[in-house]
Amino acid sequence: MSEAAERFAQFKLVLLGESAVGKSSIVHRFVKNTFDNMRESTIGAAFLTQSVHLAESNTTVKFEIWDTAGQERYKSLAPMYYRNANAALCVYDITSRSSFSKAQDWIKELKKQAPEGIVICLVGNKVDLKDEREVDEQEVAEYVEELNQEQSSAGAPAGKVILAECSAKSGDGVLETFNVIARALPVEDAVGGARNRQLRNKRSSGVDLSRGRQQQQSQAASSCC
Amino acid sequence: MSLYEAPATTTGHLALPTDKTHSRSGSSYSGNYSFINMYDCPSPGSSHAVDPTVESELEELHLTEELNSAKRLGEVAEVDEGDEGDGQGQGQGQGQEADEDSSVKESDTSDSKDGTIVGSDTSGTNAGSQVSATMVGSSSVLSLARNSNISVSTRTSSIPFDPTSSILDISDQAVHDQVLKSNFDRYGFKKPSSEGSNGVSGERYNTWFKDYSRYLERNKKKWQALMKNNGLGEAESRTKPPNRFPPKSDKVKKLIRKGIPAEWRGNAWFFYAGGHEKLNKHTGVYEQIVRDTEGVHNKDTEVIERDLNRTFPDNIYFNKSLETKHLKDSQLNSSAGKEETQSIKSLRRVLVAFAHYQPHIGYCQSLNFLAGLLLLFMREERCFWMLVILTERIIPKVHSANLEGVHIDQGVLMLCIKEYIPQLWGILGKNFEGETLSEDKILTRLPPVTLVTSSWFMSVFVGNLPIETTLRVWDILWYEGSKSIFRISLTICKMCLEDTAFNSRGNVGSGAEIDQIELFQFMQNYPKTIIDPNILIDNCFKKIGGYGFGSLSQDEINKCREFVGKQRARLTSKKQSVMKAEMSDEERRALQSSGFDGEIHDVYGFHRSIMSGVAWNKNISNRMKKKWKK
Repeated sequence: MSEAAERFAQFKLVLLGESAVGKSSIVHRFVKNTFDNMRESTIGAAFLTQSVHLAESNTTVKFEIWDTAGQERYKSLAPMYYRNANAALCVYDITSRSSFSKAQDWIKELKKQAPEGIVICLVGNKVDLKDEREVDEQEVAEYVEELNQEQSSAGAPAGKVILAECSAKSGDGVLETFNVIARALPVEDAVGGARNRQLRNKRSSGVDLSRGRQQQQSQAASSCC
Repeated sequence: MSLYEAPATTTGHLALPTDKTHSRSGSSYSGNYSFINMYDCPSPGSSHAVDPTVESELEELHLTEELNSAKRLGEVAEVDEGDEGDGQGQGQGQGQEADEDSSVKESDTSDSKDGTIVGSDTSGTNAGSQVSATMVGSSSVLSLARNSNISVSTRTSSIPFDPTSSILDISDQAVHDQVLKSNFDRYGFKKPSSEGSNGVSGERYNTWFKDYSRYLERNKKKWQALMKNNGLGEAESRTKPPNRFPPKSDKVKKLIRKGIPAEWRGNAWFFYAGGHEKLNKHTGVYEQIVRDTEGVHNKDTEVIERDLNRTFPDNIYFNKSLETKHLKDSQLNSSAGKEETQSIKSLRRVLVAFAHYQPHIGYCQSLNFLAGLLLLFMREERCFWMLVILTERIIPKVHSANLEGVHIDQGVLMLCIKEYIPQLWGILGKNFEGETLSEDKILTRLPPVTLVTSSWFMSVFVGNLPIETTLRVWDILWYEGSKSIFRISLTICKMCLEDTAFNSRGNVGSGAEIDQIELFQFMQNYPKTIIDPNILIDNCFKKIGGYGFGSLSQDEINKCREFVGKQRARLTSKKQSVMKAEMSDEERRALQSSGFDGEIHDVYGFHRSIMSGVAWNKNISNRMKKKWKK
């Protein structure tokens, strides 16, 4: 492995999904590694940050996490959330069918309105409640497959929807999800400065912009997980 | 061991609490108290007195007439102060709410009816207390009772407590010490266990509480003196929370800003918000709605159900599992704590009834916190009408289906920040790309910091500020109206700006951009650290050494709201006319990101003239203030 200097990149990630699917819980598991059985409803938005380190490319990715309120009517604030977002986590609850169709709506909305090249990840939460599962894994996989085919046949730039499941309660899959997203993000653009003025200002010197081989591999792996 | 057994054991055979409003606040303390008893210290329960239920109930019936006249006096005071910048909320239309025609007889009927709803009218008292005695003894009976009879299932009847008992009297050293020892505060909220990003430690809480309780003691004496001077029976205010309060005046306003004694809060809020008038006009309405909406399922009730257990999960009255927190986590996750508290049941009824009564609002997340906090201080019918008053009169449209009021009030707040805290505006008044927003774009593209500040309005600081600080703001809110939210918001913003930690973020050095997310995080977490309410209130209102936001008048807020609302309406209609044409996603996206700048530019020419109108009014109010001083 080459001895490239460590790279930093910062991205805005927004969480969307029906109320009580566990958006804030996922964030708290990721940021603080804690879980509360009962968490207060999020009003408006909540802001947190957390970094992940990608060893294979020696890159630290800092997520600016915009956690949002889930209720339908908060949608009028949504453009503020996803404007300039680099990634979106569309969360549903595997024990609630309606939450899955809500997540599908969000994906539609993002494809229409969000910045181009946004990394979208569809996450089924609460896998610890697998006995109460209402949303079939196979069905979700087919939906995503179809979505991604549409995307490529329409000649649209890459930007496949990533599929994941997790449990904020047990912690299963949470970190992995954020890692997969980090790998899918255009780290070299951000480090290069097109996207990220803070980092350009602070850390533009001495950054190796070459894309690591491993990173490419992991990106390929992520899109079909 | 059930939480609600505790009051029964410590308070013995209390009669039903008479005072409908205060039983709840009392019960908080009772529960907390007994909780402390159970786990922390030996029972001091002897000081609990039997509530003279019947007497107080009767007295309330006779009060109404006097109350109406007191109210009218209040109106006069309001008008008198109207021109002063910090006068009484003339924009609230509280006076209009007073029903000129409501005869004494009518009021009497309504009040007694009122009583039947909560099962605390004179005739029902005995039966009620019997049921409640059973209920507190057995949690399974609790749930049965809920289905059988509305009156039985309200907290009032299920948690007997005398609100004047010693638990509220933190001048009692024993009680004071118990609050210090407990893991829960006076209201049943869990004290923060460690210094986190969004809170303060229990230790810091205790240090503050020791001082603050002395302040409260002194303050209560002032209140008692005020009551006495207004002929509102000294005896009354000593033995139980008063139902009547002095008409609005400068003196009362000052004392309100110093804080209402916790045990009087529910009654005082209700009185000054115009709750009695509202209730008298709508006799039996709440009861009827609760009956009509029982078992209803719709979109609103779905969201409500999901939010019930996410309302104050750190409060023992809302989360039973907190009782068992001393058990191991594994035990906790099993069966314990799954059971609904009376507060949760009341919360469900209030929110469902509200959604039904205000269909243009329905249920909006954050109403759960507003109702939840009210329920700690008053019974559910009053809580219901307070929600109606808040959403109709104080912050209209904020909870409406499209949250239009949120956008409007955030627009107003941003204009205020630009006007009054220009230095902060220099940091916050930027769009997502980090470009400074020019004057004509503030309203079309609200700066992202409004995602932080909008929750200050939607939940009126519940969960944003520490509980005691929130309650002090609420004291002022119900008395002075919506301008209080703006004044306090501006004060918080300025305190943020003056905080050294903010400054280190704010001046990242030689021309470098500020990391917006860090600013948002700071502004999001900062209010939680304002543990001493007096600092916030003094900064806001103090004539010398304060920020002077106390002179931001309701009139100015109303004018500004109207202006922002009009601009938004024009913008929306422009947007629609542009958008309805068939266009590709790309075109739409391009248009969206351009923010329709070209389209609304002319609108902003209009903006200036109206804004100067607002400024003109400010000058007027300043001049008027000087006049008044003379």
